[in-house]
Amino acid sequence: MSSYSLGAISFALFALAAAGFLTCGSILRMLMFLELMLNAANIALVGLGPETLSQAYAALLFAVAAAEAGVGLALALAAARHLRTQRTEGMTDLKG
Amino acid sequence: MILTAAIYALAAVAAAATLLMIFQRDLVRSALLMLTALLATAGIYLALSAQALAALQVILYAGAVMTLFVTAIAVAPGAWKDKPPAGRLARLLGLAVPALLLTALLQATAALKLVTVSPEFSETGTLDLAMDLFGPLAWQFELLSLVIVASVVGAVALAMNRRRA
Repeated sequence: MSSYSLGAISFALFALAAAGFLTCGSILRMLMFLELMLNAANIALVGLGPETLSQAYAALLFAVAAAEAGVGLALALAAARHLRTQRTEGMTDLKG
Repeated sequence: MILTAAIYALAAVAAAATLLMIFQRDLVRSALLMLTALLATAGIYLALSAQALAALQVILYAGAVMTLFVTAIAVAPGAWKDKPPAGRLARLLGLAVPALLLTALLQATAALKLVTVSPEFSETGTLDLAMDLFGPLAWQFELLSLVIVASVVGAVALAMNRRRA
């Protein structure tokens, strides 16, 4: 298999997750698709990069994704509780 | 040969799970589909001889992050749950932009068609990974600890505000 195939796999997964992110309109779902986008980026990193260094970068990205999920979900729940909705169309007010 | 077939099969599973997530209206089922995609990715890592990453993927993503999502789904009151999705134009635009992005990425990486990789099962030891993390990537690794502390403090601060409110 060529590196192009590995890249195409990760790009396709990224595009699918991005499509979900842009069309779902619910803040919890958006966070889920965001995680899948990071996941696809990780596949590209492992598949296309040099052996261990790219894997080390991917491990760093795992930690970034975990931190992002923690604070992102806390923010999403706080915003949803404040505005009484998970729909992003209703979240037009940035004032707390 | 087997590993190449496994990579394609697992990628198809991950893609199908992500695609089904887009059309799935039930949040819990969406979370289960996401878990499927994450586990398929762990399989891809295994086929690419990244055993440590496959283990991390199962522990961190399929374990910790999924637990966070399921907890968030459980604590969100039913009244906030999904309503029907946005208008047709917004959905079409939302699908067109990633399609364009995919086309551009595939065109930009066309030169990679000449580079062939033959996945063979070999062991990438955690020692090699640690040598990189504490060697050339030591600065990034230490910086990451700050990011994690900041995210923990942020999450706790948000939870405390909620309790006071």
